[in-house]
Amino acid sequence: MSTKVAIIASNGGLFDAYKVFNIATASAATDAEVAIFFTFEGLNLIHKQAHHQLPLPAGREHFAEGFKNANVPSIPELVEMAQELGVKIIACQMTMDVMNLQKEDFIEGIEVGGAVTFLDFAKDANVSLTF
Amino acid sequence: MPLIKADQSLDCKGLACPMPIVKTKKAMDQLEAGQVIEVQATDKGSLADLKGWAKNTGHQYLGTIEEDNVLKHYLRKASPDEIKEQKKYMHVITNEELEKKLVSDEIAIILDVREPAEYAFNRIQGAFSVPLGELENRLYELNPEDSIYVICRTGARSDMACQLLAAKGFKDVHNVEPGMSTWSGPTESN
Repeated sequence: MSTKVAIIASNGGLFDAYKVFNIATASAATDAEVAIFFTFEGLNLIHKQAHHQLPLPAGREHFAEGFKNANVPSIPELVEMAQELGVKIIACQMTMDVMNLQKEDFIEGIEVGGAVTFLDFAKDANVSLTF
Repeated sequence: MPLIKADQSLDCKGLACPMPIVKTKKAMDQLEAGQVIEVQATDKGSLADLKGWAKNTGHQYLGTIEEDNVLKHYLRKASPDEIKEQKKYMHVITNEELEKKLVSDEIAIILDVREPAEYAFNRIQGAFSVPLGELENRLYELNPEDSIYVICRTGARSDMACQLLAAKGFKDVHNVEPGMSTWSGPTESN
């Protein structure tokens, strides 16, 4: 059976996005089955508009140039790659309700579910990560 | 260093993690089992990453050379049933037995039927390279009267090579098992 990687993304900055999507795409490219549960500010990472302009941490804005120099792919590119590689994206229903967000506010191809949707996947995962 | 032959070359120069891995995966999906890919990357992390990737996906990491600050990684696509293939050729010699023969100076021809890129990174000293796919057209380079020890990585390709040689009238052909995957004797590389 293949490796299963379960990730919780609960923060909405650019650094957080890279941590989540780099691990996710690298794992999926290494034949792992990957699911990410996006909750609270993590929802920004898959929000149609927000994920194009995620903020750098305060005082760390100068890293923008570093990202450019290192030729790091953009977050929308990484998200697309992740989906192409079969990474399952789950948005947290409860947080969506709290923030008054609809499924249509997010990128295509996501699932919406509660904590148990994630748990059902994560219960036999080999690797569990929280960002 | 002579050019190492690959079936496909993939340009990942200038790309940061995880792109070299993602692109290698996609390119590997398009290859036939047994084919070799060359991945060119400038990301220093790609060396450890591709080794780890190969270990986890079951493909074979052959080696890396660095040229003008570009890392050239060589990987061979594994076939799902490579290790399980039925072996049919009867005359088998173990790695250890062959190693003893080499030490005792018995004259023997070692025929390495792996891909040129595998041969380039790690081979028995003096082994003669003829990839399995080219063997039938290059039989004239071998003498049917010689003692020939045929080796590959796990004994599957060399088994097929032995069968071919025997069918073509070669008199004294032996399959070396398991082969280079566990060879502990002296080796050389380009």
